[in-house]
Amino acid sequence: MRILALIKYSLDVAEIKVDPSTKELRMSGVPEKIGNIDKNVVEAAVRLKEETGASLQGLTLGPLAARESFKDVLAMGLDEVYLIDDPFTGAADARIAVRILEAAIRKLGPFDLILCGFASDDGYTYQVAPRLAERLDLPLVSYARRISLGDGGLQADRDLEDSLQTVSVSLPALVSIAEEAFPPRRTTLMDALKAKKKPVNIWQAEADLGLSLAELVKLNAFTSSAQIGMIVHRKQHMLKAGTPVEMADQLIDILLQENVVIGAA
Amino acid sequence: MSPNTILVYSEKPALLRELLGEARRQAIAVGWKVAALVLGKNVSALADLGADVLYQIDVDDRNPELVTAALTTAIAQAQPVVLLVGATKLGMEVTPRVSERLGAGYAAWVVGFQFDPVTQSTAAQCMLYTGTGIATYGFKPGLAILTIAPGVFEAGPAADKAADIVVLEVAGTASKMTILEYKPKPASGARLEEARLVVDVGQGVKQREDLQMIQTLADMLDGQLACSRPIASDRDWFPEWLGLSGAKIKPELCLTVGVSGAIQHIVGIRDSHLIAAVNTDEGAAIFSQADYGVVADLYEFIPALMERIKARSIHPVWMA
Repeated sequence: MRILALIKYSLDVAEIKVDPSTKELRMSGVPEKIGNIDKNVVEAAVRLKEETGASLQGLTLGPLAARESFKDVLAMGLDEVYLIDDPFTGAADARIAVRILEAAIRKLGPFDLILCGFASDDGYTYQVAPRLAERLDLPLVSYARRISLGDGGLQADRDLEDSLQTVSVSLPALVSIAEEAFPPRRTTLMDALKAKKKPVNIWQAEADLGLSLAELVKLNAFTSSAQIGMIVHRKQHMLKAGTPVEMADQLIDILLQENVVIGAA
Repeated sequence: MSPNTILVYSEKPALLRELLGEARRQAIAVGWKVAALVLGKNVSALADLGADVLYQIDVDDRNPELVTAALTTAIAQAQPVVLLVGATKLGMEVTPRVSERLGAGYAAWVVGFQFDPVTQSTAAQCMLYTGTGIATYGFKPGLAILTIAPGVFEAGPAADKAADIVVLEVAGTASKMTILEYKPKPASGARLEEARLVVDVGQGVKQREDLQMIQTLADMLDGQLACSRPIASDRDWFPEWLGLSGAKIKPELCLTVGVSGAIQHIVGIRDSHLIAAVNTDEGAAIFSQADYGVVADLYEFIPALMERIKARSIHPVWMA
């Protein structure tokens, strides 16, 4: 059995600051890391690998700088990682990113099971799994929380807003992992030492995957794109001194002044 | 030339009303048609929501593959310039699928859109990086597919004219995925969108039993209890959460308790008139998004707050 985990090297969106005067997003220096959602993907994949003895590869479309961050997911149990050096440096829309991932999957495959996150931590537009299902003509179990394999198929619980759906598909299949569904394991020093010996392979979209960047660019949905930061002005008044009772009284005084509550001043 | 059409779909009736409200407002101004896709058997209840045409397709709307096929069929019939879909988990799966099948442009988390009749193209404003910013995208001419979260647009009034109902069939209802069991989650009784005071619980609350204390506080202030995503999705303490992918509130006061302040959660509470936050960590992101920050252990502060509310006979102004 062969399993592939798609993992994204994501911007830490909490670190994106907004310039208060120009409303510009300050993108330079924003740290990137393997996303939390993606670590849940790796955990789900490693558990299935342990159950079945499957091989488990990881695939990322991202900058070469991502190389260093694979130590953790290799220590968790990936056998090796393929990193496609992103020719569009994160700027390509999802349709193009999926074409690149598709080409890599066709080259690396066939796989019995492909796992990815329901969304990425930074873009958070939920597009990769459904687009890839369409491109690869695979069954997709989206928002999966529990996964079990058997009889050439897969059963999983799809976690939706108002229901849980237990579904089955035959393999090969694509599964997207729901939020916080598989909390990543802690790794040991021994895991980290083993991870050092595992390969991180680098691919170029044109040279290794036979893609034409000029053709890919034509798939872009947009003719223009502009960004501004959201600024909400809050008072940011801090209460940090005093006993809990004193602070409670201070907060009540504030809520009286703000006309949210009434009572004894 | 026949008028342009905006096609609307959501499996959630309340969200469908909001999308139709905005579609109607834009369509009236320029003489366009509004069409809605309704799946299943019972469509007559939706006939006065403001669509000119209801396309009815009898497929199971719990299966994304069938919903994708139905949307593709309705698009072929209606030839819309804009497709609005509710940004639920189902909506967020079927729209990229349709985009991929038709090669149509797609943007997620849309908060506004405009169609330019001269260039026959759409521009849309979307939440970027889970709500840190807003991106404005100009689409290539042709169909633009947009997903819209609950609470972005306002529902319109009931229409004075019932929609024409057109029954369509999808070619083939085979599905790669089989639904074995369907378990509805308990419905949330809370109407968070209308609450005047919300106590918003985060991961700083350690055990489910502790919610009792926070519920008591909320009751004292005529407030509703709500939570951040991990509390609902991972711990399963609540059926819904506040945030980009959850509910959005606009109360007089949102009091966060043990909430760290990830931006995708802030999106759900940032329309609150006032935000007060309680967190032990002075560096928590929530404090930069709050009017008032209390750096304290919630297990000491909340009991003290309840004691002082009682001692000082504090009530919300609307309970006077």
